Amino acid sequence: MLASLKAVGIGKVYESGLIFKSQKTILQNISLELEEGQTLGLMGVSGSGKTTLGKILAGLERPTAGRVLFGGKDIQRLHKKEFTLFRRQVQMVFQDPEGSLNPRKSIEEAIHDVLGLLKIPKGEWRERSLDLLETMGLSDELLCRYPGQISGGQNQRVALGRVLLLNPRFMILDEPTSALDLSVQAQMLSLLKDLQRDRGLGYLLISHQSDVVKYMAHEIFILEEGRMKPMS
Amino acid sequence: MNCRHIKNRLLPTNTSLCSLVLFLSFLLMALLAPVIAPYDPYIRFEPYRSPSLEHLLGTNDLGNDIFSELIYSSRVSLIVGFGAALMATIIGTVIGLFAGYFKGTPDEILMGITDIFLMIPQIPLIIILAAFLMPSFYLIALIMGSLWWTSTARVVRSKALQIRETSFVEAARSLGFSDMHIIFSDILPNIVHVITPKFLMAIASAMIAESSISFLGLGDPTAKSWGMMINFAFIRGGFINDYWWWYLPPGICITLFVLSVVLISYAFEESEEAALRIE
Amino acid sequence: MSSSKKRPILGVDELSVSFQTSLGEVLAADEVSFRLHEDETLALVGETGCGKSVVASSILQLLPKNAEVHGQVVFEGRDILRSDEREMSHIRGSKIAVIFQNPSMSLNPIIRVGEQVAEPLQVHRGIPRHRSVQMALDHLNRMGLRGDTAIMYPFQFSGGMNQRVMIATSMILSPQIIIADEPTKGLDDALARDVVSEVMKIRDSSGAALLLITHDLQMARDVSDRVAVMYCGQIVEMGSRDDIFENPQHPYTAALLNCLPEKGFQPIPGSSPSMIHSPDGCKFHPRCQKRFERCRLRPPMEVLAGTKGASERQVRCWLR
Repeated sequence: MLASLKAVGIGKVYESGLIFKSQKTILQNISLELEEGQTLGLMGVSGSGKTTLGKILAGLERPTAGRVLFGGKDIQRLHKKEFTLFRRQVQMVFQDPEGSLNPRKSIEEAIHDVLGLLKIPKGEWRERSLDLLETMGLSDELLCRYPGQISGGQNQRVALGRVLLLNPRFMILDEPTSALDLSVQAQMLSLLKDLQRDRGLGYLLISHQSDVVKYMAHEIFILEEGRMKPMS
Repeated sequence: MNCRHIKNRLLPTNTSLCSLVLFLSFLLMALLAPVIAPYDPYIRFEPYRSPSLEHLLGTNDLGNDIFSELIYSSRVSLIVGFGAALMATIIGTVIGLFAGYFKGTPDEILMGITDIFLMIPQIPLIIILAAFLMPSFYLIALIMGSLWWTSTARVVRSKALQIRETSFVEAARSLGFSDMHIIFSDILPNIVHVITPKFLMAIASAMIAESSISFLGLGDPTAKSWGMMINFAFIRGGFINDYWWWYLPPGICITLFVLSVVLISYAFEESEEAALRIE
Repeated sequence: MSSSKKRPILGVDELSVSFQTSLGEVLAADEVSFRLHEDETLALVGETGCGKSVVASSILQLLPKNAEVHGQVVFEGRDILRSDEREMSHIRGSKIAVIFQNPSMSLNPIIRVGEQVAEPLQVHRGIPRHRSVQMALDHLNRMGLRGDTAIMYPFQFSGGMNQRVMIATSMILSPQIIIADEPTKGLDDALARDVVSEVMKIRDSSGAALLLITHDLQMARDVSDRVAVMYCGQIVEMGSRDDIFENPQHPYTAALLNCLPEKGFQPIPGSSPSMIHSPDGCKFHPRCQKRFERCRLRPPMEVLAGTKGASERQVRCWLR
């Protein structure tokens, strides 16, 4: 079965205040579809709601209107088993590289956590961790380190490697390179391209860097005042 | 692989080392009371004896050896301090973590309860309860523990609110970890440095409160604690006759122990700050 | 630009900075030498952790206490690395100005902007408060900020406005040298462009020399006259902007330029070495496509034949 991730008529309104309610509309009637092996670029200035839309698609936040469909089914109505599958197959990679790993867990612990989540027998953990580092082009010295002791690019790669353990079909990439150095950004982008080619991943690339989006995406949209339009 | 050497720890300063030694020696004193104390504190000798080689701090009105009494008293004082603080910290941490992590309605309910508890005048309530209920140290510790968690809960909640928004928590949610796993394995370790000083300070204030209550005569007259010793010295003529060896040592013990706890908590905060700076 | 006759006003000679840490000795700057000429902009570019900010901090003696510094920094005929704190604070305020990253954090949020801009006048020139605030106001006007900004507080401003105020503050004593340490780091695109144009404005109007420390190659290309490229604590290549960007001589410079969007994000293999166990010989050789036997030895910084003065070209590579 070919997985699919689709958003239909998504809207998000933030409400604040108990007595005097004030409303802020972030997203209005947004529909999009991610396909395997394809990259959808999403651009917009900061504060335009790009990240919120990403989180809604990843099921981390609830829209106030519209539905997110995974394999044709509304993710709010999935059975537990189907939701677990959705949770594994749709992943989000976050912007700030230093913050995407728990500062008080060593890289080894961070990887072991995910292996435990996947119920992989303990005997294989060591080997799997080393595999992961190798795939990501990282040295095995890193296992003992803490996120504060390695560079931003290395953090970002460990975070991405953890996500890949789940074998996702779709990844929401929220500004994956904007905090990275030029050469590290180039490495990250080529790694993402390789992964897409080898595993047929579908990406939603959220970024304000038009160069990056143009380089990566097959189709580009711009988010402006809560509405989405294709880039001319 | 050995990962020990990577962790960056600061060398302890002289002050923090001294306070740690002091703290541990009080703990040892409580644990090894029967070994250290020269006599059973309930044995009666001649009352009102001055300090001598036989009785290092003399004897009290009942003829109990004051030095032995002082050592045994550490037990009750420490149990009350630790018990109350442990209970307050656990309740406060759990409530704060849940309120901060789940936000929304659970947060409002839990923080509403916290506000109600904050409004209770605590020492008067403890005194009233102690006066009306059966006077027992365990009861006092229990009451203090169930009242003093509010500030911990508030601090932990605000910290948890902050940490739940970080990418690593979002990433953990996206990877599909359970809420409990995230709360206790991702958020809690990042709050420990806030909780520990709170816990230490709670020990100190619980001990002071226990002493105050005992001094007011509302404690358990059959148990021996430092506050109770001062109380007896006060009502049985220790102060009037200026038997300093009777009322001064328990006061000094309370002061020193609280001081060691406070200093350790400062040292802890400092090293935590320094560690953050290194990162 | 006819800058070949320009006098150097700041000379950094064989500057080395190391720190003792629990993980070992970190060599953050390794024999860094350059001259900053009058009325010129020199961009010190490099990636995170290459030691470029350490160079700026050591010029101003703003390094932490555990730093060990060797070499010379010559300013006004004296080695200011050996100046005492009193002398240094005079130099820092009035002769060499600094623009730090993160403008909103560099201003005190609860003091009026006018007062903060006026403070250097009071401290270094002894001008009374009332008059100095008036002068600050004029100065802010000249910098294109409206008159009422002086009575506002930094928290009422946007990041871009704060950056302008910061720049105004550092310019009020007409310093000879401005050091801008990553002025665009952490700012979003629009704001970064604002800051770049602001920096260009000062460069054109003040006549001060600008030492721009940045990881942003585009900014370096837009603003600077000369560029020095740092890698792992060393300057590996230095020359005029056009030479560096159009005809890079060091393999690292060339590889770094290939990472730019217009070159199609071509990655450099491997990752930046740690400064604790940096490679022997040429620091870039483990990642270099053109390495050969000799790269295991430490290459000297060499001036290319036929280049002189402001168009002087230096490269630290055995291939030259």
